[in-house]
Amino acid sequence: MLFNSIDFFIFLPIVFVLYWMVLNKHLRMQNVLLLIASYIFYGWWDWRFLSLILMSTVVDYFVGLQIYKTENSSTRKRWLWLSIGFNLGLLGFFKYFNFFIESWIDAFNSIGYNMDYYSLNIILPVGISFYTFQTMSYSLDISKNKIKPTKDFIAFATFVSFFPQLVAGPIERASNLLPQFFKRRNFDYIMAVDGSRQILWGLFKKIVIADNCASYVNDVFQNYSEYSAGTLVLGVAVFAFQIYADFSGYTDIAIGVAKLFGFQFKRNFNYPYFSTNISDFWKRWHISLSSWLNDYLFTPLAIDLRNYKKYGIFSAVFITFLISGLWHGAGWNYIVWGGLHGLFYIPIIFSKKRFSSISTSNIVTKNNVSYNQIPKMLLTFTMVCFTYIFFRSINLSEAINYNVAISEGIINNNIFNINLPDIRIILFIPCLILVEWIQRDKEFGMDLKAINYIAFRWFIYILVIAIIIIFGAKSQSFIYFQF
Amino acid sequence: MNQYLDILNELFREVLDNESIDLKPETTANDIDEWDSINHIYLVVEIEKKFNIKFKSSQILEWKNVGEIIESIQDKK
Repeated sequence: MLFNSIDFFIFLPIVFVLYWMVLNKHLRMQNVLLLIASYIFYGWWDWRFLSLILMSTVVDYFVGLQIYKTENSSTRKRWLWLSIGFNLGLLGFFKYFNFFIESWIDAFNSIGYNMDYYSLNIILPVGISFYTFQTMSYSLDISKNKIKPTKDFIAFATFVSFFPQLVAGPIERASNLLPQFFKRRNFDYIMAVDGSRQILWGLFKKIVIADNCASYVNDVFQNYSEYSAGTLVLGVAVFAFQIYADFSGYTDIAIGVAKLFGFQFKRNFNYPYFSTNISDFWKRWHISLSSWLNDYLFTPLAIDLRNYKKYGIFSAVFITFLISGLWHGAGWNYIVWGGLHGLFYIPIIFSKKRFSSISTSNIVTKNNVSYNQIPKMLLTFTMVCFTYIFFRSINLSEAINYNVAISEGIINNNIFNINLPDIRIILFIPCLILVEWIQRDKEFGMDLKAINYIAFRWFIYILVIAIIIIFGAKSQSFIYFQF
Repeated sequence: MNQYLDILNELFREVLDNESIDLKPETTANDIDEWDSINHIYLVVEIEKKFNIKFKSSQILEWKNVGEIIESIQDKK
């Protein structure tokens, strides 16, 4: 079920009413309801893949208890590897099987062997990259003595499959989300209103910004050979706003829906395009994934490589970003995308200046902005945009051709013959930037808790709803559902 | 405990380039802006150098706060 579909607009109120009005006094029954609702929500796409979620749930429920019970550290490790092996096995088969087979065949063909392409028609189960990471972190945290396992299977199964965050995150940690299933939840009007605002803001970003950008971006990336360098650069910049509005819009809806049920998720975006360097960017973009990779991949690697000083840290950063690229998609273009982000850390890690004095230029939380930060923000945004060419292109050779087309345009002086996007994009992207800049110390763009005038708040609600109805584009799926 | 805390405090100020750091046993990385994952590695290296010890990797990964770092140092001393 898509958040921006009629189905969801019927589904959500039904679950909401049952949850608060019928089962209000029964914590366990509320959890059962959320579990059933989550499986229906997911089954709407393809009920067959529910079995994968269930298997992942059973494995980690059992492994978690076993690790906790076991004293012997090598036995604990074996249990942990069962969880990691199972989850990565699921991911490997469904997401990467064809990629590896085809890459092997290409490698053999390039050295003279002739092999035929052999691939299975495997459909990618939606959300698999997200929930496998979530369940793995549960077993990993238990093995590091950071949390205790739960014996309540219903609560655990709901934690794994909770519908607001099942298909595209935020990737929650057991330490934050799981205890919330055991606490009595009373309907909190202020939290619910705040959640509703966040949902509305997410819908605005998705329907007005992202979906309007989609047709322009699709056209530029499909027919790049026909456009000027200026148009190609603009196409990438518009894509930057498309993917941000799409994914952070989805996240706002997810967090908002969870608030309606009395749950608080972790923050996933913190105005990433106001970052002043690449490390700052990764502390603000898809925070739940970057902190996952940080805790379970980068830190253990960097600790093991710590004797190699800066080279060890850089290697750990680079490997982490290559894996991050592969997580996003089974394609060389994603790996190059990750590799570029890794390379962008070189000046940060190897500069003589201490890293800390660079990374703490925290522009968003400071009241008075020093304007010398703005060139740094623009530079960071430009670097991120460059990597998006690889992220958005369908494969590596198309991405390279796109870069070549930009260079050729510049050499042939075919630059300023710009094919402009739709007026709605030209109008609303600056609006988005302005609103976010004003609201940059708030949790999300439409966070109106501090505004006391009811009339003004309602003016904003009606304005945003009107804009969605009048300027919204035909609904599209969310980009991150493919990962 | 206290003597180690003072030495760590000095070292944190130096590595993280922030004179206002005031460590307590319950301080975590969330409490100090500059204490991010990359600086965490520098801190581990400097702590090992300062006390002339070598932690086990698994031990480092279990630290939840400054107090647990101090416990690890005491174990090694």
